[in-house]
Amino acid sequence: MKMDRRSFLSFVIGGAAGTALSPLPWKVTDDLAIWSQNWSWTPVPEDGEVGYVNTTCSLCPGGCGITVRKVGDRAVKIEGMKGHPVNDGGICILGLAGLQFLYGPSRIASPMRRTGERGENKWQKISWEEAISEVSKKLADLRSKNQSHALACISGYDGGTVPRLFERFLTVYGSANFVRTPAVRDSYELGLYLMQGTQANAGFDVENADYILSFGCGIIEGWGSPVRMFKANSHWKETGVKVTQVEPRLSNTAAKSDQWIPIKPGTEVVLALGLARVIVDESLYRREFIASHTAGFDRFVQNVLKDYPPEQVEKVTGIDKAVVVSLAKTFAAAKKPLAICGRGRGAGSESAGEIMAVYALNALVGNINQKGGVWAIPDPNYIRWPELEMDAQAAAGMQKPRVDGAGSKKYPHIRNLLHRLPEMINSTDASPVQALFVLEANPYYSVSDSAFVRKAWKKIPFIVSFSSFMDETAANADLILPNHVYLERHEDIPGAEGFIKPIIGLAKPVVNPQFDTLHAGDTIIRLAKMMGDPIAKAFPWEDYEACLEETFGDKWEALGEKGYWIDAGFEPSPWNKAFETASKKFEFASDDIGASFQNAVVKAEGEESAYPLLLIPYDSPRISAGRIGNPPFVIKTVADTVIKGKNGFIEVNPKTAIALGLSEGKSAVISTPRGSAKVRIHLFEGIMPGVVAMPTGLGHTAYDSFLAGKGVNINELIGPVEDGSSGLNAAWGIRAKLGKA
Amino acid sequence: MDSALIPKGVNRCPLSELILKLGPVVAVLLWGVVAMFMCWIKGLNQTNMNDSYGFALWIWADLTVIALGGGAFFTGLLRYIIGKDKLKNIINFAVLIGFICYSSALLILAIDIGQPLRGWFIFWHANVHSMLTEVAFCLTCYFMVLTIEYLPLILENRQIDRLPFFHNLSHNMHEIMAVFAATGAFLSFFHQGSLGGVAGVLFGRPFAFREGIFIWPWTFFLFTWSAAACGPCFTIMLLKITERITRKKLVKDDVVDLLAKIAGWMLTTYIIAKIIDTWYWAMVTAPSLGFELTDFYSNNPFYGMWILILEIVVCGIIPSIILISKKGRSNPVSFMTAVVLAVLGACVNRWAMVLQVMAAPVLTFEGWPMYYPSWQEVATTLLPVAYGIILVALSYRYLPVFPQEVELNPVESEDQGGKAKKAALSGAEVSPARA
Amino acid sequence: MKNDQAKKYGMVIDLDKCTGCGACMVACMAENNIPFKEDESNKLDSITWMRVYQLTNGKPYPETDICYIPRPCMHCEGDHGHSPCVSVCPATATDYSQKTGIVSQIYTRCFGCRYCMAACPYHARYFNWWDPVWPNGMEKFLNPSVSPRMRGVVEKCSFCFHRHQLAMNKAFVEGRRELEENEYQTSCAQACPSGAIAFGDLNNPKHTVNQLAQPDNAHGGQPKNPEVFRLLEKLGTNPKVYYVSSREWVRRAGDNYLKNENPGKAH
Repeated sequence: MKMDRRSFLSFVIGGAAGTALSPLPWKVTDDLAIWSQNWSWTPVPEDGEVGYVNTTCSLCPGGCGITVRKVGDRAVKIEGMKGHPVNDGGICILGLAGLQFLYGPSRIASPMRRTGERGENKWQKISWEEAISEVSKKLADLRSKNQSHALACISGYDGGTVPRLFERFLTVYGSANFVRTPAVRDSYELGLYLMQGTQANAGFDVENADYILSFGCGIIEGWGSPVRMFKANSHWKETGVKVTQVEPRLSNTAAKSDQWIPIKPGTEVVLALGLARVIVDESLYRREFIASHTAGFDRFVQNVLKDYPPEQVEKVTGIDKAVVVSLAKTFAAAKKPLAICGRGRGAGSESAGEIMAVYALNALVGNINQKGGVWAIPDPNYIRWPELEMDAQAAAGMQKPRVDGAGSKKYPHIRNLLHRLPEMINSTDASPVQALFVLEANPYYSVSDSAFVRKAWKKIPFIVSFSSFMDETAANADLILPNHVYLERHEDIPGAEGFIKPIIGLAKPVVNPQFDTLHAGDTIIRLAKMMGDPIAKAFPWEDYEACLEETFGDKWEALGEKGYWIDAGFEPSPWNKAFETASKKFEFASDDIGASFQNAVVKAEGEESAYPLLLIPYDSPRISAGRIGNPPFVIKTVADTVIKGKNGFIEVNPKTAIALGLSEGKSAVISTPRGSAKVRIHLFEGIMPGVVAMPTGLGHTAYDSFLAGKGVNINELIGPVEDGSSGLNAAWGIRAKLGKA
Repeated sequence: MDSALIPKGVNRCPLSELILKLGPVVAVLLWGVVAMFMCWIKGLNQTNMNDSYGFALWIWADLTVIALGGGAFFTGLLRYIIGKDKLKNIINFAVLIGFICYSSALLILAIDIGQPLRGWFIFWHANVHSMLTEVAFCLTCYFMVLTIEYLPLILENRQIDRLPFFHNLSHNMHEIMAVFAATGAFLSFFHQGSLGGVAGVLFGRPFAFREGIFIWPWTFFLFTWSAAACGPCFTIMLLKITERITRKKLVKDDVVDLLAKIAGWMLTTYIIAKIIDTWYWAMVTAPSLGFELTDFYSNNPFYGMWILILEIVVCGIIPSIILISKKGRSNPVSFMTAVVLAVLGACVNRWAMVLQVMAAPVLTFEGWPMYYPSWQEVATTLLPVAYGIILVALSYRYLPVFPQEVELNPVESEDQGGKAKKAALSGAEVSPARA
Repeated sequence: MKNDQAKKYGMVIDLDKCTGCGACMVACMAENNIPFKEDESNKLDSITWMRVYQLTNGKPYPETDICYIPRPCMHCEGDHGHSPCVSVCPATATDYSQKTGIVSQIYTRCFGCRYCMAACPYHARYFNWWDPVWPNGMEKFLNPSVSPRMRGVVEKCSFCFHRHQLAMNKAFVEGRRELEENEYQTSCAQACPSGAIAFGDLNNPKHTVNQLAQPDNAHGGQPKNPEVFRLLEKLGTNPKVYYVSSREWVRRAGDNYLKNENPGKAH
């Protein structure tokens, strides 16, 4: 067929016109739009029946009740449990993101054995049978060499059946080295023991106090039970309760307080004693309490307070003496004033001197075990298991001193001193710890002076992590026996930090385990059974569930239904019964106490000449700094003046920055006697000149790509500073220098 | 090789030379095409736009090419409606430039939207209250008009014109072109205005917001006005560039002078209106919203008062004065300066009305976000420029764009090779009617 | 019938109580299937329907003060529903409901021109620059009541409108046409541990929001309570999110003022 130009053009134009007039292009256009509305790579959530499960959150010691919304067998949202005595419907930022832990990319899917070097992240999946038998063999080997005391366990908590099972295992195996990670709770326990003679937790009746004097507590940054404190803060706003915040940095708490008193970091104890001195001098204390229920008041006044006249306080703390006097008067004049301490969210211990000075302030105004005051909350003593039968090896092992020195002659009243562990390991040729269990803790990341920790870590031959997540500790372990996450397991959660009633929360499995994990309680029971008697005998339960049910006995069903048990009628002991000291009174002074006060101020490490600045850590409610790293949702909320890309920022007062020739956003190097790190500058008027601050909880190397590598782990820069009298780590910061990068 | 397609009586460079010279332009075009597909396939994360700069380089380019393409409608208006017959000698070129500008604008829009496959929702689910809807409808319609206006020129290609159907079609289209020119002018008035309205109606953005009449903010009129003023200047600028490249005079001076003079008066009146508008906005509108003029031009590293001075004084008042004076127009240097400044003025104005609107913070606790385009944005913005150059080159080569070219550049057949002679002969053969 | 009168859902946020903890942001993300990327530190392409800003009083140490201000979509009423974004959307993908006062967003209708973002002075609108990707397994917590958005469209806070629908369905089944105040609460209001966010019908004098803000409907809902303010009041956007603060500098930070202007007398 001959195609001339004309017919070709007609064909083309006719064809085009014909196609355009046909339904085809319209259909294609429409279909493409419909396709763009249903892209297969944009997920469509599956629908299903909606249900709610009440359980207890254990991401922090807050003890909040949560309600998990489920659609079919998926958990889709965590909300605060309405009517729960601790949080009544409220929930914190971390708790809300809990499902990102459950379904998150850093979950460990099965037991794993390390194949490469530690930290190389090379793993071999193994069966539970194999994993537990490997631990069993190692431990049997150690025990056969009379080295049972070389087993240690670092645990993030010590209340409740799971840690108690671990502790029980260690005891019957022959090791006293069950070490709880530090918290301000250590200091409170010590203070209550020394001054009141009780073994108890501190409770704060914040809802009923009418004036709050906080020595650096991050009241709305995670201190105590966070949601309860948020609620209390709002309650104070509604009822006109005034809050005075003493700290060197304008934290959220300081900003929300009625009065922010900036103070030279580390000198809070001097202010507390200075306030006590004014109260005593002006006879503003509550005589009815001081006269009849305290001992050593005169000694306290003579030996201690003489050193803290307002002029001296002004010199040390930088706070105008008129402010000191008026603050003391305000505090004493309130009906139910409450003084609290524990820097930031209370993730670290404080010196004995500081805690006792604050207790003394509370005692002066008579608010010990009173409405709106500090209460001693006894442990709900519900775990009553059969007596242990110890063999000779176990008994011998238990006789050996603890590796961290807690409870020794040098540190008599202290139960846990994790910060000493690296030093004890590094100071000998053969590590005193030959096998280490890590339960719900991340010491490789969270113990200060990271370089030193890494050195000690290398000397421990066998490390077993029970972590659900690939945290730094798990990544540097030899064997991982992954626990279910809190939403997959039953567990009792006793207590809520700082809460005033004995309470036990119950965590319930909201969903089936997502991976081949095992409840740590079951793991330890199975390990015990595999090791045979006498260890096996100490664990008569078929499994953890049976153990838990037996522990609670007839309370079990009620606990399961309500989700928590509370001693709602609990009242603190009256003054005449409250104190179990030798004098049966509140002790202002004893030999122990005298020693503590004399070493009141804990100095920052480093020489001022080489390190002219002070570096302090700060806690942000938007950065989880505990054993668990920030999930993606929470890291997303972090401001771009805290993290930008991978860079972390350091807060610097503009005055300090100008002196150093640094400006907003500039790169710099922060150096301390313990290490140095690259940071960027964030100018912040709210920080004291000469002081710089960095957030805790950043600089992770493990977890997932949402968290790892962002910012700096402040533990790389700060080391422990031992409180001379108690042995607690009382580091509140470190001397530092800042220079251009 | 392609001599059969070249209009009769004109001289064109060898095809090989054209291909060689257009080579780099084609390279830029391909670069732009690659970037365009990256944006379509991977999404707009290929750009440096963000939630503060939802509108950026592309929307500026869009507004600018449409403003500069305004030469087409305004020259058409003058030629067909007002009856400035002389302008017939430049109307083809103006239409061509307009066609390039508007097709480019549509292409950029197709890249700019996040869901190009749903772009037609703007017609299907149209919200009549949206300035952008008005823009889309008028723009599309006017583009069709421009196509219809450009079509006869294509049909005048020697080879196509040989077909009686196309010849007659072309002839008839010429007859009714006034109708299209009128339609075009009407449509243009609205979409140029709507584009001004796009910014002017943003009552949440004090930098952009203007009062006005009924639904139209003052920017509605200012944009139309400035397009009418600067569009012809752009046409003239491109004409001068084309003349420089081809080393030929293509349009007679009196034609250019007439268009420039009219553009000059448009620019003068525009800039007076613009100054009044700016003054009222700075003194009344902005303060009523809590802003002082300096708030919009300080506390940031880029947007300073210089923009206002550049736009109004340097690119407004100065070219106006030059263009309305005979002396200014007759001096080639001052004339070109004025034309270029007027074009630049439109660019600066559109930049401020798009980018600075995005940048100027409204919430007291936000700062000025800064922006620079990604290479993908630059490439896709240069893509229409390259395409424009190619289309101008091809149109110039094969179509009788400049009616005065033959007269101004008589081909001396003695000096020409056989090819040219043959071309001239064959041209004469088939189009005796052409005058 | 009196009960049929239009609702005007709105929010009152107590900035004295707000601690800046960010729980509202995460509550929103978890409820509304907000995607997340590896790096969210560029806040200009980070989708946060609810964003908490930090304000500072600009004074040097130790006079410095900071305050946090949570910013959801303001659901502007504008002038009779003529909110800045609704009127500009060319494809009617966003609309102002006269029944509830909620500004909706239809993701499948939106074609991503971003004009609404240019129109919104609060930066409450977010564009999906990226395909949303949930790491393997994480799609399990997606809420079926809210459809995940595809790349290339604009999204924003909906006042958890799906919760309104669910509550209305439930009420309807129970033979009611009216919701109790607590039946329809946004995810952020429900979660806020400080109880700083109140949500409800601004037209209903029994609702907390009405009592706190005391909106003057004759004047675009301007608050009569002197401690209550709205962001950028002068623009006439008439937002339905109100803020309470006892601090004068915070209230002043809510709008732009000329140098010598006294905010108290501005309106």
